[in-house]
Amino acid sequence: MPQLNCIDPREQAIEVTFNPGETILQATNRAGVDGILAECGGGCSCATCHVILDHTWDGTLVGPSTQELDMLSFAVDPTPHSRLACQVELSDKHDGLSLSVAKRQY
Amino acid sequence: MRLGIIGAGQSACTLATELIRGNFDGEILVFNGEPHRPYQRPPLSKSWLKMPADINILPLLPEPIENHASIQWIGEWVKLIKPDNGEIYTEQATYRVDQIVLATGTRARRLTIKGLPPETGHVIRTLGDAERLRQHIDDAKNITIIGAGFLAFELAATLDHPDRIIRIVAKANRLLPQVSLKTADRLVGSTPASTLVDVKIESFDTVSKSLITNHGPVPADLVIIAAGAIPNTEIAKRCGLGTAEGIATNEFMQTPHPKVSAIGEVSLHHQPHLGRSERVESISEANDSATTCAKRLLGHSEPFGAIPWFWSDQGQLKLQIAGLCARSDDETCLISTDTDSVVIRHCGDRVTAVEAINAPKEFMAARRLFERGTVSLSAIIKEGSVFDLLQSSRS
Repeated sequence: MPQLNCIDPREQAIEVTFNPGETILQATNRAGVDGILAECGGGCSCATCHVILDHTWDGTLVGPSTQELDMLSFAVDPTPHSRLACQVELSDKHDGLSLSVAKRQY
Repeated sequence: MRLGIIGAGQSACTLATELIRGNFDGEILVFNGEPHRPYQRPPLSKSWLKMPADINILPLLPEPIENHASIQWIGEWVKLIKPDNGEIYTEQATYRVDQIVLATGTRARRLTIKGLPPETGHVIRTLGDAERLRQHIDDAKNITIIGAGFLAFELAATLDHPDRIIRIVAKANRLLPQVSLKTADRLVGSTPASTLVDVKIESFDTVSKSLITNHGPVPADLVIIAAGAIPNTEIAKRCGLGTAEGIATNEFMQTPHPKVSAIGEVSLHHQPHLGRSERVESISEANDSATTCAKRLLGHSEPFGAIPWFWSDQGQLKLQIAGLCARSDDETCLISTDTDSVVIRHCGDRVTAVEAINAPKEFMAARRLFERGTVSLSAIIKEGSVFDLLQSSRS
């Protein structure tokens, strides 16, 4: 199975397998990656699944919607590579994608 | 400590997660009567209904929590509790615990409609309901949804298809009474369904496949009843703790019995934002009441102080509501464009809720302002938007 390389807020590295078609949130939630709250359950309505993607993968991803960008502006210290894990759908070409979970969701 | 959680929905799972992450010293028994692992409910009326049939479940818990050594999953319905003895009874066995948490949630209100065949009539609340409904959708040309709330409109948006006619019929005299007239107009205006209010349903005619109503026959080869939810208080009532309205608790989610707590949609407690007791059906209530209960069980009590919030996907419209208001609260439309709208609900100058359609910044700004205290309508109007008020208060 393809996998993501995640760094949690305590700098622990975790490899997370995913099924193509899942979102980052579905994969990291199943694996129990720390620090992703996702209070709304993945509805782009709470900005508590903030992750920072490795920018070298930018070309493989569909960019964020206006809704997601607006929600991200309320995340703690967003960066140009910040995303909401619930809004990023994964495919086979994302095998090996690296991301860090935001240090804080509030 | 040995803890029994009755129910396995959002609040039960948040409680178990918070306890495990807080290094709870004891055993957690979770009673899950449904034949599924804990799953997420909100997607059932949204994207899930359109997914291929092999995608069966959206798990609610991370595997390390679900499989944690301190959790024992008991796949049985609870019939009865005896709080004094800490006893939980199922059909099969009796369990003894030190503390009981009732997270029994709500169930779909069913209507008795004369002549309606069981395979034609549906509700949607559990994964079982949704699986059953999904099997019948493809063959349905005329879908009639009975209800006036968010669920009815979410279903209409989800089931929209060129080969189908979708109708929403409501007993009430207005649609979406939980939001302002302005917000309701926007949502009703964009639904793919035709709508009818003040409807009295007399029966279902199997020959013409129609609901017979005071407005004449309404064609329906599939009927979905989305007429609200009933709190599951039977177990609590049998030991004198609940009423038909819910299970009353204090601000620490404790019922009058020292061994029994209640969390989530079934709990009836003081909502500081409203200034009165109310049972609230939302994910935020499930999570916040569970977190409050977890803190108490972990020995560092903090009273419930959360601000409720809601969201609902209606096709291209994303409705987000910060706060909670009475249906009679005033409404002032702040922003209205072709795509977005923001309506402020208020009592005099005190803002009680902000209804945002496709306006996430206004929604999030309202949540942040409510967390700090009272929000004034005149201050919002002076600054031009909720977001601008938040920005000006930061600087």
